[in-house]
Amino acid sequence: MSRSISVAGVSLELEERGSGPPLLFLHPGEGLQPQREWLKLLAEHFRVIAPHHPGWGTSALPDWLMTVDDLAYLYLDLAASEGLEDAILVGACFGGWIAAEMAVRNTQRFAQLVLLDPLGIKISGITERDIADMHAMSREDYVRLAWADPAKGERDLMQLPDTDLAGIARGREAFTRFGWKPYMHNPRLRHWLHRIDLPTLLLWGEQDGIVSTSYGRAWQNEIPAAQMEIVPHAGHFPHWEQPKDFVDRLVRFVNIN
Amino acid sequence: MRCWYFSEMAYHPAWEAGLARGTLRVVLPSSNFDPPTAHGLLNRYLDEFALCDEVGLDIMVNEHHSTATCMTVSVPMALAIIARETKRSRLLSLGTPIANRPDPVRVAEEMAWLDVLSGGRLEMGLVKGAPYEIQPANSNPATLMRRYWEAHDLILKALSTHDGPFNWEGEFFHYRSVNIWPKPIQQPTPPVWMTGMSVDTGRLAAERGHVVGPLLSGGTAKPMYDAYRQRAHELGWEAGPDRMAYAAVVGVGATREEGLRRADQIADYVRTAPVVAEPFTNPPGYNSIDANVAIMKAGPRAHRIVKDRQGNPIDHRRATVQQFMDTDTVFAGTPDDVFQQIRDFSIRMGGIGHLLFFGQGGHLGHEDTAENIALFGREVAPRLGELTVEPAAVAAE
Repeated sequence: MSRSISVAGVSLELEERGSGPPLLFLHPGEGLQPQREWLKLLAEHFRVIAPHHPGWGTSALPDWLMTVDDLAYLYLDLAASEGLEDAILVGACFGGWIAAEMAVRNTQRFAQLVLLDPLGIKISGITERDIADMHAMSREDYVRLAWADPAKGERDLMQLPDTDLAGIARGREAFTRFGWKPYMHNPRLRHWLHRIDLPTLLLWGEQDGIVSTSYGRAWQNEIPAAQMEIVPHAGHFPHWEQPKDFVDRLVRFVNIN
Repeated sequence: MRCWYFSEMAYHPAWEAGLARGTLRVVLPSSNFDPPTAHGLLNRYLDEFALCDEVGLDIMVNEHHSTATCMTVSVPMALAIIARETKRSRLLSLGTPIANRPDPVRVAEEMAWLDVLSGGRLEMGLVKGAPYEIQPANSNPATLMRRYWEAHDLILKALSTHDGPFNWEGEFFHYRSVNIWPKPIQQPTPPVWMTGMSVDTGRLAAERGHVVGPLLSGGTAKPMYDAYRQRAHELGWEAGPDRMAYAAVVGVGATREEGLRRADQIADYVRTAPVVAEPFTNPPGYNSIDANVAIMKAGPRAHRIVKDRQGNPIDHRRATVQQFMDTDTVFAGTPDDVFQQIRDFSIRMGGIGHLLFFGQGGHLGHEDTAENIALFGREVAPRLGELTVEPAAVAAE
C-alpha cells in the first residue's frame, strides 16, 4: 500500500508491502517504479518500506533540501520514526549513494547493507570519469548503457498520462539538483566508507555501462566487510532486469548474516 | 523605437563541420577552429560595430560558449573595445548569463566599469542563458532560476550601494564585504534588461520594471508582452513600448532582391544556431514541469518548431527566407519594406520600443554588412525612431 508520512517537515510518499524483517529500499535516479516485478518478489520475504525520494513521485522537495547529506539525515529520521530495528538497508544507483551516506553516519537501526550498482564515490584521475555522463547522451544511448536488454528499459512516454509524465519530469529535475556537481558523487565519501560496520553485499549488473564492475571493486575495497556478486544479464538496474535473481541473492545474504 | 545592431561574431568557417557532426555547440572540438582566420574575423566584426556609431544606431553584444556560432565569450570584453570606438551609441549587454557565473560581484564591478568608461551609455542585460550554455558552464539547471534571482538582487544592490561594505549570506552566494569600485554613472543602476518568452518572465520583469526582449520568437511572444502590460497595470503603472524589445534578422537592400539576399545569408545563423546535440537542448530543470510534460507528449525534437502567422509549423533549421519572414523572425527588402514589416509587427505585439537586429550572421561579407548597417541606420531607423505605436490597451480585470 501507498501512504504519506512527514519526516523532518518533509512530506513523503511511501510504498509499504509484505511482512517479515524490515527492509528500507532507496530507489535509483530513474524512480521507484513499484509496478515492476521486483517489489512483489521482495515483499514475499520482507516488510519493504520504499519511499519516493523528495522531488520524485508526489514526495515534496522543499527549497532548502539540496544535498545527498540532507537525504541521508532524512532517511535516518525515517528509520527512527518507523521504529526500524535490525533492518536491511538497500539502495540502488542514486539510492545506493544515499544508503552509503547513511551508513557512514549511523548504522544503529540496521543489520545489513545491500548496494546495487551505487553512484557516489570518486576513484580515478581528474580527467577520467567513473560515472557515465547520463546528461550528455541521448535517451537512446542512455538506455543502451543502463540496460543489458535495452528493449526492457524503453518506455513510450507519448502513451503515458500527464500525471505520470509530470512525475518523470519532477524526478529528473530532482536527480539533477542532487547530482549535477560534483557529478553524481561526493568527493569525500570514499574516505569515510571505512566507518561502515555492517555486513555489506555489493550486487553489480554484469553489463552496467553507467558504473562498471571495476568501480564496484573499489567500493568493495573501501568497505571493511563487503562482498561483491555479479548479476549476469543485467545492466545498471539488476533488480529490474533480473528481479528473481536479485531477490534470491539478497535473501541468501541476509540468511547467512 | 530604438534600433540596436547586433552580431554574434560567428565563426562560420566551422559550420560545415558542425552540421556534419550534428552539433555546432558544446561538443564540437576546437580542432575546427583556425586562430589566424578568427583574428581577421574578430577585428572585422568589431569594425562593423564601430560603423553603427556613424549612422546613429545603438549596439548590442551577447555571449555564448563552446560554439562555432558565436566567438564572443565575454560581453564586457567586447563592449570595452566598442565603448572606446564609439561616442554616441548606447551599449547593450544582452547579456551576462548570471546564473552561470560563479561571482556576481565581479559582474557588478565589470558593469560599473563599463558604465564609467562609456560615459553612462551602458544598458545591462541580466539573462538566464540558453539551455546549451548549462553544460559548458556546468551550472546546475535544477536551481538555475533561484541562482539567477539571487545573483540579480546582489548585482543591483552592489551597484546601488554607496555606504558599503554590506554582508551577503544567501543560498548560493556568500560575501562578507561587498563594496564595489567604481560605482556606475547611471544611478541607481544602468537600465536592466531581461530575455525570455514565457508569461512568467513577462510578469516577473514587469514587477521590476525591466526591459524584456524575446529573440527570434515571432508572434509567439505576444502573451509575454501582454502579461507584462497586465502585471504593470495591476501594480499601478502602464508599461509602454520602451519596456518591450524584440530581436530579429534584418536584411536591407537598394532593391527588394538585394535585401532578401542579405537576409537569406544572415539567416544561415538562425538555421545553424539550433543545431545542437539533443541532450544539451533541455537539461532537467531548465524548463518548467508543465513545459517538459508538453515536450514529452510532443515527441522528440518537435519543440524546436515555431509557427508562422497562419499557425503552420516552420522548422528554423530548414526554413527559406520567405518562411522566416512569415514567422516575423526576418524582416527584409527595401528600406520601405523593412520599415513597414517592423511597424506592422510592433502594432501586432501592442507596441515594441526596441528592435535588436541581427545585421550580420556569418556568411554575409564585410561590404554587404557595412551596406546593411548604413541603409538601416540612415533610411529605416530614423523612421522607426519617429514611430509612435499606441500601447495596447490592457484587458479589463
